[in-house]
Amino acid sequence: MGIACVAFIGPQNNPMYLRSIDPASDDLYMKLHYVIHCSLDAVEEKVMLKRGPGDSQDAYLGLLYPTEDYKVYGYLTNTHIKIILLLDDEGPVKDEAVMRVFRRLHGLYVDTASNPFHKFGLPLSSPRFDGAVDGIVAIYRGAGASQGGFMT
Amino acid sequence: MLRSGPTGARNAPALEQINAEVFTLTYGSIVRQLISDYEDIEEVNKQLEQMGYNMGIRLVDEFLAKAKISRCSSFRDTAEVVAKQALPMFLNVSANVTNWSPDQTECSLVLTDNPLADFVELPDEYRELRYCNVLAGVVRGALEMVNMDVECRWAADMLRGDDCYELRLKLKEHRDEKFPYKDDD
Repeated sequence: MGIACVAFIGPQNNPMYLRSIDPASDDLYMKLHYVIHCSLDAVEEKVMLKRGPGDSQDAYLGLLYPTEDYKVYGYLTNTHIKIILLLDDEGPVKDEAVMRVFRRLHGLYVDTASNPFHKFGLPLSSPRFDGAVDGIVAIYRGAGASQGGFMT
Repeated sequence: MLRSGPTGARNAPALEQINAEVFTLTYGSIVRQLISDYEDIEEVNKQLEQMGYNMGIRLVDEFLAKAKISRCSSFRDTAEVVAKQALPMFLNVSANVTNWSPDQTECSLVLTDNPLADFVELPDEYRELRYCNVLAGVVRGALEMVNMDVECRWAADMLRGDDCYELRLKLKEHRDEKFPYKDDD
């Protein structure tokens, strides 16, 4: 239940960070890579759809597509960083809860990018980042997002 | 150095303010540039300290003009003034003075928060970098202008895994006033 995987993808569709929350075997890892890769197409589709009728550009893209095990949610920042979340919730998922997680992840990315030693485009590999992602995921899990909201 | 941050210490006189993030990012780029110019981390540390020294010898006049403090009677007073008035005025953080040596010439200024190092994470290859060395230089320069030779070094650094920032201040000597002319001319 909860978040299965978090991924950050850069503006040139280069993977910057892919983390499976439960320790994953190599097979599972490949599967996650594959799912995230497919979701990039879904992101582009959604972006094109939104731009068409002159809608305002929202960062939160919503449910991109459901696979058999996971639901894939996407978030696109103005600098074309994509954040993809894989949830394996069986029940209905509250959009606001997912949006809150995305916003916190976005904030975390901004803080990490403000580090003067951060190199853009390279994979994110700091232990502090890992710890913070764990913290954000734990809040989502702990609050039982399918039952209600939680304090950000 | 302008005071950064939206709120300030209550007793600090009004100074122009700068956005804290602009300040932090500017300092971060200075350090990055120094590293790529000098390539040797010890040299970068020395340069940061020298930059701080040059800032300190000028800042002390501004501080003494704006803060209405009376003459410090001892090194203990001086340390308190630096920690409780000068640092809040310029950096919007206050420090505690602890760990006095038995002969009252050495103490520690402990800071729990440092706007210079917000968001910074030191990569492993720069483990020897003393990121906030400019602050050590500022204190040394400022105190030298009021005739106190001190030695300032960082004893604890949160960027290296410690739980606070600790600046060790050691008074070496009080210099006599040097006059630019001879008395018997």
